[in-house]
Amino acid sequence: MAVQGEGGGKDDIKTHFMTREGTYRLMPLSEYSKPTRLTYNGQTNTPSKVSFIDVNDGTGSPERICFNVGRELYFYVYKGVRKAADLTKPIDKRTYKGTFPTCHSFNKMLVSSESVQLLVGFTAGQIQLIDPIKKELSKLYNEERLIDKTKVTCIEWIPGSTNQFLVSHASGQMYVYNEDLQCGPTPPHYQLFKQGECFAVYTCKARSTRNPLYRWVIGQGAINEFAFSPCSRYLAVISQDGFLRVFNYDSMELVGSMKSYFGGLLCVCWSPDGKFLVTGGEDDLVTVYSFHEKRVVCRGQGHKSWVTAVSFDPYTTIVCEKDSCDTSANEEDRLQNNGGLSEKLDCNNSEGSLSFPNGLHQVNSNNDSYSYNKANPNSLHNNNSANVYITSYRFGSIGQDTVLCLWDLTEDVIKQPLGRLRTSVVMTNSAHGISSLKCNSVPHSNSTKSNSISNDVSAMDGHAYAIGNSTMNTTTKFATLSLVDRKEHQEKKEHKRNFSLAGRSSDKTNNLKSNHIRPPDDAIKLLGTQICPRLKDVPILEPLVCKKIAAERLTDLKFQEECLVTTCQEGIVCTWARPGKVGLTQQHTVNNQQTSDNGTIV
Amino acid sequence: MGNNPSQLEKEIGSVQLPANEHYFGLVNFGNTCYCNSVLQALYFCRPFREKVLQYKQQQKNQKKETLLTCLADLFYSIATQKKKVGTLAPKRFVTRLRKEYELFDNYMQQDAHEFLNYLLNRVAELLQAEKQGNKGKNGENHSKPEPTWVEELFQGTFTNETRCLNCETVSSKDEDFLDLSVDVEQNTSITHCLRGFSCTETLCAEHKYYCEVCCSKQEAQKRMRVKKLPQILALHLKRFKYTEQLKRFTKLSYRVVFPLELRLFNTSDDAFNPDRMYDLVAVVIHIGSSINRGHYISIVKSEDIWILFDDDIVDKIEASAIEDFYGLTSDLQKNSETGYILFYQSRE
Repeated sequence: MAVQGEGGGKDDIKTHFMTREGTYRLMPLSEYSKPTRLTYNGQTNTPSKVSFIDVNDGTGSPERICFNVGRELYFYVYKGVRKAADLTKPIDKRTYKGTFPTCHSFNKMLVSSESVQLLVGFTAGQIQLIDPIKKELSKLYNEERLIDKTKVTCIEWIPGSTNQFLVSHASGQMYVYNEDLQCGPTPPHYQLFKQGECFAVYTCKARSTRNPLYRWVIGQGAINEFAFSPCSRYLAVISQDGFLRVFNYDSMELVGSMKSYFGGLLCVCWSPDGKFLVTGGEDDLVTVYSFHEKRVVCRGQGHKSWVTAVSFDPYTTIVCEKDSCDTSANEEDRLQNNGGLSEKLDCNNSEGSLSFPNGLHQVNSNNDSYSYNKANPNSLHNNNSANVYITSYRFGSIGQDTVLCLWDLTEDVIKQPLGRLRTSVVMTNSAHGISSLKCNSVPHSNSTKSNSISNDVSAMDGHAYAIGNSTMNTTTKFATLSLVDRKEHQEKKEHKRNFSLAGRSSDKTNNLKSNHIRPPDDAIKLLGTQICPRLKDVPILEPLVCKKIAAERLTDLKFQEECLVTTCQEGIVCTWARPGKVGLTQQHTVNNQQTSDNGTIV
Repeated sequence: MGNNPSQLEKEIGSVQLPANEHYFGLVNFGNTCYCNSVLQALYFCRPFREKVLQYKQQQKNQKKETLLTCLADLFYSIATQKKKVGTLAPKRFVTRLRKEYELFDNYMQQDAHEFLNYLLNRVAELLQAEKQGNKGKNGENHSKPEPTWVEELFQGTFTNETRCLNCETVSSKDEDFLDLSVDVEQNTSITHCLRGFSCTETLCAEHKYYCEVCCSKQEAQKRMRVKKLPQILALHLKRFKYTEQLKRFTKLSYRVVFPLELRLFNTSDDAFNPDRMYDLVAVVIHIGSSINRGHYISIVKSEDIWILFDDDIVDKIEASAIEDFYGLTSDLQKNSETGYILFYQSRE
């Protein structure tokens, strides 16, 4: 075995990778970092995060980028894949003492070329609102740390609001602030406002309205991230206790939840249509959760360490027209006839249109070859968007293993449990050590020497259960696999026992080797349910791309129209041009607008 | 680093400390931190502590001193202290250890994992000998001995599966383990390291496998998977690697993350308890750059708080500070504080 050098050796760090739509290339000149880069000493332990905003200033580079590195925060013009970054001239740079920036968010409602509003959260719990263009604005919240002393883990403007924002902390609490209100000189007094399973919402008791407006207490342990659904109605929150919890934000009701296989969940992202959520966590897995069906759809295995960021790529998601997709149409009907899916397509209907970015590429379902490059940016607007149906979702994930993975969530995986037994993802023995996955999959009778195992995945009847319902409807059916069948019968029994709180003592009479003695523990109780299925009960995805792309652990991932952007612990922001989008020239004074698509890579 | 015990008590306040728990630092008798760190970790593996204390109860009038009676006395002494926090000198235990095993009979730094191994095996041996009424003293009995509580707590079983690529026959052989030693790689998780342990290996060329069915040497695939998951899963990270060039062991300070909650991926199809959920309860940490130099400390979980033991120093740490012991992502620093032995306890 080769001895690995620093970060596993520089040589095996990839600068390009292939997918079926083409080659993604690292743009070395589009690298953003501190202007003067010192040797990384491994000291900063706040992950570097990236935020983008389009200021629409009428120039060729309307995008602005913000990222944090150690105690510093940078704000640059983001020139994308076509022009080199100019690191000598940040629009704004701030250095903080005693507290480090952890996360940031732009207000998308109040943007102009002269002014943007940027929220910044810090390790000691404080929050700052700044305008990195005008530079006049600077407001502090939780300055005296009377509201929360722990690290800010995630910060977002509440969608559709110009002055309210939500902040989560390592304490396991989230607060709603109003930008215009004071935080008060004393610690706030709270009054219970709403309560549910594993969460409570409090209002601030004070004579005059003050910050925070609300306090949410969720689960156990730190809240690591949260995300509003594309329709703004739902809020997904992930925690160190391993739970994903989805709330109806306005009614403050828990409408869905999921548990990691083990360990904390570290990141979450909604699919562009709001139907799915993908999470990443300390189990080294990405997990796809169907929000409408309230079940884990599949897990993805490819990372060698914890997954630090996940993101759907709306630009590579494949859509087709509904009426030309017979199977999809059937599926729709099937879904609509299912009583358990009351939340279904709520997102879309409420808005009247899907909120895809302009670049969403449309693929005619009759066309076998995927064509990504000739898409008309306006095609979605010309269609009745209700007729658009997504057949394949693309998402990416990055981790502490310095690896980028890309995944395709395809129809056959999504539809797996709806009454049909299908053969699922074929796991080939790839170079990523995935082969050992076989450990947990039941060997198929046809499995051959070739080392690839087709993992028969059991069919479930697709009855999603309502979360408020006390009797969990886990009427899981397993048709073909006798082994699974047997275990699952036991499982069913156990659920009943668990929920009726009976029969525990009889369990204990089982022989010692049995693992079926279960204390009233959430994580163990949930295993085998649709919230936390056993490994062999859901398909296991294999990444279509799995590449080591950095020397340091990766900390953030964003999909842009022309590129994908990654950043790592060292605070180096890398731009990866999408296929056909390479156009970087070093002379950015001339021809800056009309660079051809076949420029050379330097 | 850290506060003295009285400060700790003041800081955390006896109210917050779990009732009936005692946190006693252990005096270092000259490079005995390898011993102290492992003893603390084992003390906070609750099922192990309970068994040792039970043994103490049963053996009140035992005359003969063994390593186990010394251990039981030490644990009993910690458990029956009036104060919650303080310092103890494990003098008798260390003296006994040095008497019993010549390798430890000096003032050099020793390998904590080697000590753990020795201790568990020795305790099991002593218990076995007592069961047999001191007949088969060295465990030389021919029939398979009944497991002692050491095996009940720590022992798991691998299954070594070999699939003949000609006839597809799978033959498997079981092997017991008290702990798992895993290879470490840069920027990985303990989950990944465990998976590496179960990687499929193809036996070909001169390593061909003799298949009983084919009655000839055949190409085969071999893998090791866990068949019986132990109640306490002790994971040893192989951070000391012998380098031919330097003619000595060098330390791999790679960053290997370990979660507070763990399940295994590399279980066999016929595993009794493949979904067992484990909680991290203790970590022995190696500080320094080589196997014979440096220092050992341990962190343990007591109810929901984390306590750090650095010989006689006891300190409370935040769970988020565990991150400091994952290791380093660059070679620039030499002095690393890295998780070395992880103790995961089954939740059931």
